[in-house]
Amino acid sequence: MEMLAVIGSGVAAITGMNRLIVDIAMYFGLFVIVAMALNFQYGNAGIPNFGCAVQVIVGGFTVSGITLRLAYWLVQKAGVKLLPYQTAYDWLYNSQLNVVTVNNFLKNHPLVGVSLLLFSIAVAMVLGAIIGWVISVPAIRLRATYLMITLITMADASQIFGRNIPYICGGTLGIWIPNVFAWYPGDRGVITAVVTLAIGLVCFFIFRTMLNSPYGRLMRAIRENEVTCSSVGKNVVGIRRNILMFASAITAIPGVMTAYYYSYVVDAMYQRAYWTYWSWLMLILGGPGNNAGTFLGCALVIAMRRVIIVYKWFFDKILFFPISYFEQILLGVLLIVVMIFRPDGLIPEKLLYIPGVNYTKLVREKVKVDWRTAPKMRLAGKRRRFSLKFWRR
Amino acid sequence: MILPAIWMAAIVYACEITILSIGFTLTYLTAKIPNFAHGTYAGWGIYVTYTMTKILGLNPYLSFPVSFLVGGAIGVIVYILVIGVLGKMGGGAIVLTISTLAIQIFLTATLYIYAFWIRDIYRTYTMQFMLKDWDFRLWGMQGIFYVALAICIVTVILLHTFLTKTRLGVSMRAVAEDPELASVLGIDVYRTQLYSWFLTGGLAALAGSMYPMWFQATPGSGALIITTIMAGSLLGGMESVYGAIVGGFGVGLSEILLTKWLQGIFGIWVGEYRPLIPMFFLIAVLLIQPRGLQGAYEWLTKSKRGIELLSRLGIKVE
Repeated sequence: MEMLAVIGSGVAAITGMNRLIVDIAMYFGLFVIVAMALNFQYGNAGIPNFGCAVQVIVGGFTVSGITLRLAYWLVQKAGVKLLPYQTAYDWLYNSQLNVVTVNNFLKNHPLVGVSLLLFSIAVAMVLGAIIGWVISVPAIRLRATYLMITLITMADASQIFGRNIPYICGGTLGIWIPNVFAWYPGDRGVITAVVTLAIGLVCFFIFRTMLNSPYGRLMRAIRENEVTCSSVGKNVVGIRRNILMFASAITAIPGVMTAYYYSYVVDAMYQRAYWTYWSWLMLILGGPGNNAGTFLGCALVIAMRRVIIVYKWFFDKILFFPISYFEQILLGVLLIVVMIFRPDGLIPEKLLYIPGVNYTKLVREKVKVDWRTAPKMRLAGKRRRFSLKFWRR
Repeated sequence: MILPAIWMAAIVYACEITILSIGFTLTYLTAKIPNFAHGTYAGWGIYVTYTMTKILGLNPYLSFPVSFLVGGAIGVIVYILVIGVLGKMGGGAIVLTISTLAIQIFLTATLYIYAFWIRDIYRTYTMQFMLKDWDFRLWGMQGIFYVALAICIVTVILLHTFLTKTRLGVSMRAVAEDPELASVLGIDVYRTQLYSWFLTGGLAALAGSMYPMWFQATPGSGALIITTIMAGSLLGGMESVYGAIVGGFGVGLSEILLTKWLQGIFGIWVGEYRPLIPMFFLIAVLLIQPRGLQGAYEWLTKSKRGIELLSRLGIKVE
């Protein structure tokens, strides 16, 4: 604990520029998890998951609907008196005072705080996997466009439930969340950001291992040609469902961490325009199919966005409209420009790493093609306009 | 005869959704993508009507042809700058669909900025409005009721004539079926696509300009009805314009009437869950018959069990 106090006091006074850095780190951690899971689904397995917002909102609702009740129950068992919270009115009206009481309790019981965090992450992952299974039922056998349509409407529907059922997240007013890092003496934002980045790192290694395994090669094979895969005896529908469930479970974690970062949950925090569209923008910008590109795209988008938000007061003085609309225009144009001028993203997809096999040599073997039959196909590989490949040769 | 207000609202809404669903289906047929920006074209139609009525002080019905042209222009620009380029580069359906999401966000944001600009210049409210007071009354009912029905019916008849009788319409259908084969027959595919995007954009904006005559409109309301449009189009089978007419009208009608009916049973709070009704249609169609009404019709008339079922009901199929 003393060691922690020393570390904590060093960053106790966080204001101005440092706060911006913490904010960017936190958002990078949140979105890199979503974008990596999306890269796992779309970049490698070819499943267009337009429902990231659904899975993230499940994480948020887990914290507000399940973990919060568990925290209240635990604190009451420990002998601390709480205000009533059973009815919808009390649940909302006493939320703030109850959370302060719980925070005072958690300050002296770090183990309870950590176990609450772990519990909410575990429950969110299970619920996320269930959601992944549910969305796979109607649409996964059909065309990709049907899946997209279903998922986009589901994202809107989940927000409607959150807005209208006060028992989940307090309806339109939102609900306060206890600080599970109350035992940490320093700034709460820093420890949340560090934990989120650590989770992101773990997710990165999990995804990397999975992609370089035989299962990862199978995923890429399904993306390229599902008919061939099913003809050699692979259960394409089952594999797709598994991928969707696993990635949905991972995507639910950022929802949990967002709730703890703000100590507050309201349905408007999990809008489709944010969680789905930005993650897709990051993926396309960085280049689908490799995690390095996802990191780069995520860092670029988050840095730009947070800087715009922090200097909002400056822009709002000179413009007649809120800067957030200009930012949306910027992000929309950016996506289309990237798609047109760099269709493979900033970092194109690399070949997989297979131990013991020189896969690169295998793939790059010279194949004789008679170009006279298809003269246009000769240019097909040279479509990239500003290739970064010149320094590799 | 005076209809109850809820029926009039339902019919006006259903007419709008029908026109929008037709456009959505046409885009899906010719470009093979679900155009998520389709509802936002309607948002532009709303603001064309707003500008011409409240700022310029004209009759709102004068703005309908203007908004048709504006919507068509937006559709053409979108096709020339984004969809056409990406399609030529060989982007798949998923890439094109993501680009329509980007277009939706771009167009909605521009609309908000336009609304803020108008508010700054004319010092009037631009974010939430209704144009019911500018409407005429006929036989005790709002004029938009007749106009919406008339526009819906005329659009359907004109579209049917256009797609079956004129050369351009037939070539549009040919491009929808097989672009390569159509180009072999001497049809300019790019130009046909341009016309079809003009038509869909124009129809969407026309439907949008009917919206503020009865309902409360905001810059975001165009983007919000995309779920209903998709449900209508999917109920019709996604690949049939005639299915979209039936599906769009059905979903639009049931979205308002079903909400009202359920409110009578369970209480007023059901109204908040209104957007779930088109979603329910969507999921039900995907689970029961993914090809929608078109698929159900073909199953009834072509398959053995369907014909058996029909003959048991006393209907004969040649």
